[in-house]
Amino acid sequence: MAHNHDGKDKQVHFVGDSRVARRNEKMVPKDYSEFPGKTEAFFPNFLLKEWMVAVVVLVGFMALVMAHEPPLGEQADPTNTGFLPVPDWYFLFLYELLKFKWASGPFVVIGTVVVPGLLFGGLLLAPWLDRGKERRPVKRPVSTGIALLSLLAIVVLTWVAWDEHEKQLASQPKGDSEDAKIVHPEDPAYEIYKNNACVNCHGQKLEGLQGPSLRGIGDAYTTEDILKIINEGKGQMPAGMFQGTEEEKRQLAEWLANQDPPEEKESQQ
Amino acid sequence: MLKAAYEWLDKRLDITPMWRDIADHEVPEHVNPAHHFSAFIYCFGGLTFFIVVIQILSGMFLTMYYVPDIENAWKSVDYLQNEIAFGQIVRGMHHWGASVSIVMLFLHTLRVFFTGSYKHPREFNWVIGMLLFFTMLGLGFTGYLLPWDNKAYFATKVGIEIAASVPVIGSALATFLQGGEVVGAQTLARFFALHVFFLPAALLGLMGAHFFLIRKQGISGPL
Amino acid sequence: MSEKESQRKPGMSRRRFLTYTIASTGGFLASGVLYPMIRFAVDPLLQKGTETEFEDVGPVEEFGKEPKKVEFFIKRKDGWYQKEGGEKATAWVLKIGGEILALSPICKHLGCTVKWEGGGFQNQFYCPCHGGLYTKDGINVPGTPPNAPLDTYETKVEGGRLLLGPIKQRGGGA
Repeated sequence: MAHNHDGKDKQVHFVGDSRVARRNEKMVPKDYSEFPGKTEAFFPNFLLKEWMVAVVVLVGFMALVMAHEPPLGEQADPTNTGFLPVPDWYFLFLYELLKFKWASGPFVVIGTVVVPGLLFGGLLLAPWLDRGKERRPVKRPVSTGIALLSLLAIVVLTWVAWDEHEKQLASQPKGDSEDAKIVHPEDPAYEIYKNNACVNCHGQKLEGLQGPSLRGIGDAYTTEDILKIINEGKGQMPAGMFQGTEEEKRQLAEWLANQDPPEEKESQQ
Repeated sequence: MLKAAYEWLDKRLDITPMWRDIADHEVPEHVNPAHHFSAFIYCFGGLTFFIVVIQILSGMFLTMYYVPDIENAWKSVDYLQNEIAFGQIVRGMHHWGASVSIVMLFLHTLRVFFTGSYKHPREFNWVIGMLLFFTMLGLGFTGYLLPWDNKAYFATKVGIEIAASVPVIGSALATFLQGGEVVGAQTLARFFALHVFFLPAALLGLMGAHFFLIRKQGISGPL
Repeated sequence: MSEKESQRKPGMSRRRFLTYTIASTGGFLASGVLYPMIRFAVDPLLQKGTETEFEDVGPVEEFGKEPKKVEFFIKRKDGWYQKEGGEKATAWVLKIGGEILALSPICKHLGCTVKWEGGGFQNQFYCPCHGGLYTKDGINVPGTPPNAPLDTYETKVEGGRLLLGPIKQRGGGA
């Protein structure tokens, strides 16, 4: 057959080495007669509809991208002890799982290997675990039930983890996030702070040395709370460290209570 | 001109049957959202692919500015996001696209599971799909470290500690991921290599196999 | 097909219409995805160069008719990277008829560094790589490899001190 040089016959097949068997039957085009109703060609009819869907998704996606700046926190600082680590949202359920007593400590294997192994192994081997011919979810209650339960567990774990993280973030004085700036550094109270023993433990810029950082402390304590801590001490802090007058003490506490920067960003999610 | 070039190629390579096979195969009604709106659940696979294409493209463009080095990684991300035109958009596409692709992939998996499409004869394609799922999670995990901000750093630290608690192979696995004695320069270089070369290569190979099998076996019938 | 063609109405067939629609939908998708990325990638082409600041290289009186080599540091931000203390740069500075001329030592041939009266050439700048020669005012000597005069730095005198600024190219050449 092969040598046909007039260029009109497009059916010529140059198979070359004829040890490769030339197949005459068409590769696939499956017979869809088993499906009732209308079928249509993939190109262009069906693909057009697929792409219409893609257009809708793209517009929504780009709206999301334009509306939300991708977060970028402060440069990694291994010595930052106040940072609340949290994995990306799709690992949260695993993260939460490891907080259970029976899945941590001596039983950590349950949390890191057994449960995820069962989950992912089960998914991987699903076709062999559920060998029945029936495809409708209602007609195979066991596999549907297990799937729904695991799904529910994942959703609940993710939600609990997220909720817990939010609560922790809220209760933590924001000073530990590096975004917090000193509020009103021009206030005379800052001078009072620097002239007292406070500065030795809490740092020149409230950043915390032996003592904790005081940045954003206004989120956690009121003026009265702070006065009380100054008077009575807290943790390692002894009572009566403040050497100034009562008037100055009041001023200092009021200034510290204002340390709740409103421009605090979502850098810690 | 184009036609002549096409025919020249076709005579030598016989490419017509290849695309004809793809273009002309009949798509059944039950997966076509134009016939039944509920058939949109069959779109999630295609949409996952679409988002993955966006991920690959935006990732390629991001590496034009990004440097995988602990001194410069954060600075370069900060620079490309804030100083370069559309930097925020391109990084945003990659950042949010990662989440969106996981969502789409998850919905696609649910569709396949609840329509029982993983059953005979499509068991193998389900396995490939699950491997794709793991690859995507791996891409998410390795990509999270790259901007080298506090969130990235501490999340990775936790991740590596979890890996270390796996019995027998745990410490070896953690050392492999970490590269050095701390989560640091060597970890970043390694995660970059995994995120940009190894995992995408696996992803592309698996996707090729996934699509080939879909074409070979056809889509599963209506319920 | 031939049967259909014979009864084709003016206008286009359904298949062709669908093909055009799909091409435009695909075009929309591709441009929506690629436009931000391409603009992102070509940004350096569209960015104006940063202003180079003038750097002090010493009192004006120090420079005479004979070219003198000065070293100074340019503070330049290269993307996210800025070298501590600045990038080292050198210039050959001389006075020609009261005008200060600060020549860049980078040979216009292939970027080697030229030296005043190097290689035994009197009263000329010599480039050791391929034997390029420039006259005292930095004009390339015909018949040697370079094809343009040496670049100059913008100069400025403030309070008796010489400041060097951005590099300027000179056209022409011998």
